[in-house]
Amino acid sequence: MNTKPSIPFLCFCFFAILFVSSCKNHKEDEYHSLTDKIKAESKHYKGTSISSEKYINGLNLLEITENEILFSIPNRKDEIKSFKCTECHSKTLKKMHSAGLKKAHWNIKLNHANQEVMNCVTCHNGDNMDNLKSLTTHTIDFNKSYKLCSQCHQKEYKDWIGGAHGKRIESWAPPRVSMTCVNCHNPHSPSFDTKWPARFNTQKVEERK
Amino acid sequence: MNSPTKQKKSGSCGCGSALGSCGSHRQEVAKTTSLCGCGSASGSCSSNKEELPISEQEFFEGAVDAAIGDERKKDGFDQVFDVKMDRRSAFKKLTASLLIGAGAVSSCTSLVASEESKEKLQIDWEEQFKGNYKLMENDEKKATVSRLVRSYQLRTGKKISMSSKNAEDDVLFGYAFNISKCQGYMDCVSACVEENNQDRDSQMQYIRIHEMEDGKGFNFNEADDNYYHEVPAEGHFYMGTQCFHCDNPPCVDVCPVQATWREDDGLVVVDYDWCVGCRYCMAACPYDGRRFNWSKPEVPEEEVNKKQHYLGNRMRKKGVVEKCTFCVQRSRAGENPACVEACPTGARVFGNLLDPDSTIRWVLENKKVFRLKEDLGTEPKFWYFMD
Repeated sequence: MNTKPSIPFLCFCFFAILFVSSCKNHKEDEYHSLTDKIKAESKHYKGTSISSEKYINGLNLLEITENEILFSIPNRKDEIKSFKCTECHSKTLKKMHSAGLKKAHWNIKLNHANQEVMNCVTCHNGDNMDNLKSLTTHTIDFNKSYKLCSQCHQKEYKDWIGGAHGKRIESWAPPRVSMTCVNCHNPHSPSFDTKWPARFNTQKVEERK
Repeated sequence: MNSPTKQKKSGSCGCGSALGSCGSHRQEVAKTTSLCGCGSASGSCSSNKEELPISEQEFFEGAVDAAIGDERKKDGFDQVFDVKMDRRSAFKKLTASLLIGAGAVSSCTSLVASEESKEKLQIDWEEQFKGNYKLMENDEKKATVSRLVRSYQLRTGKKISMSSKNAEDDVLFGYAFNISKCQGYMDCVSACVEENNQDRDSQMQYIRIHEMEDGKGFNFNEADDNYYHEVPAEGHFYMGTQCFHCDNPPCVDVCPVQATWREDDGLVVVDYDWCVGCRYCMAACPYDGRRFNWSKPEVPEEEVNKKQHYLGNRMRKKGVVEKCTFCVQRSRAGENPACVEACPTGARVFGNLLDPDSTIRWVLENKKVFRLKEDLGTEPKFWYFMD
């Protein structure tokens, strides 16, 4: 008689202990995975004191908003040495061709897509040399040349807006400053050349003999 | 994980900080259970032997009696001395300290020794008996950093700056690597070596860039991480590995002295002054993220990066393990790591995983990402993705 009622009691105790210990475990290791943890911990993100401002202070920047994402890119017009173009291009292109003038831009060779797809006037406007033009002849500012690139390279454009393509300048912290297309790619020859690696580890060769 | 609990005792440290008046403190030191009164004053100890209330034998019995389990709670001097050990290893451990102590005492009491060499030895003394960086309070961190800066100045005449900046709240560092962008130029490797003052003699490199054949996937057995030809080579792709700063780091678990740990911002760091060089962590790391200094690291004076962090690129010594810290001296200040800055292809994305608007978060949420050996459960904070 004494032992009988204690069996359900023992069972209760056993499960109670199980329950308590499992709760304890759960507390110690709150998340199933790193992604869960990141999601949970960033819910109440309030920002940090770390800022990119001291690194980008001296830079000549331009704020843009694309796909509702706000960030800055370097100013381009100030970087082009012979801007404004109309300082030389005072006449229309046709007249400048026939005037027997010395050739300018002789070093630019278009190596971008092929002649059937692109030539100079796909992007440049002979009637308005200080601006670029879209495929549908809308005016595009030299500072926002990424709009021109995005006409064909939509995927790269979207990745760049998000941050998967291209490169941040100086700092990972907000506010964000990213390079724009023409900071890395030469628009007239956008692909990268092959080159030799920056270094070769002779010690590694020695060690693996 | 471990709260920085500390036991403050007036052990050797009382003596160490009061070098000049070592003798006057002898009584007090001897009254506590440790032997260090003798250690610190080895020069003049023999003449005062009768003052010690306990014999050497008694001390070692006391040391053997000391519990081994609460090593975690002990710091500095206690972690070395207040543990079970036999006579032989006790002597071994004492020898180094004795040498420094003897030198310090002989020069601090000597009239001929210069002020500078006295200071140098004082610094050596205090560095020898400092605690584990992980357990230090902020003022102790600042003290050791200023000692190291002063010591470098005394030795080389050059000034360095060293930070002890702690992890910031609401920051968890993460990294993404675009394998379709990397062209194998290895500019990142060069930048890393220069930034982090790695040994030039052994050509130590934290980053490895693997050249892999198209169509074979991640086949590390056939990959080449030390190529020298024009890149990108036809029919190959490139991917980089380095320390992945795992969120569940196996290297940390195996360290017998807790010289490596995970910081609150996710960085896995090493206290080079606490590392005993057992290399368990290297064996435990599934990614070959760690490097060992087989010889004293040598960096030409003019190439030393003088902007340093205690847990980052400060000069290491022989026999300690080091690794990528996501350039803690840069990242905690808000800068991009050197490899990110050097990459000409934009294959490297770095940022704060807890900031929902950060670029790294955009990559994780919008690209198809994966990690190396995900099934091990190490939870690396280093993702790979493709265009």
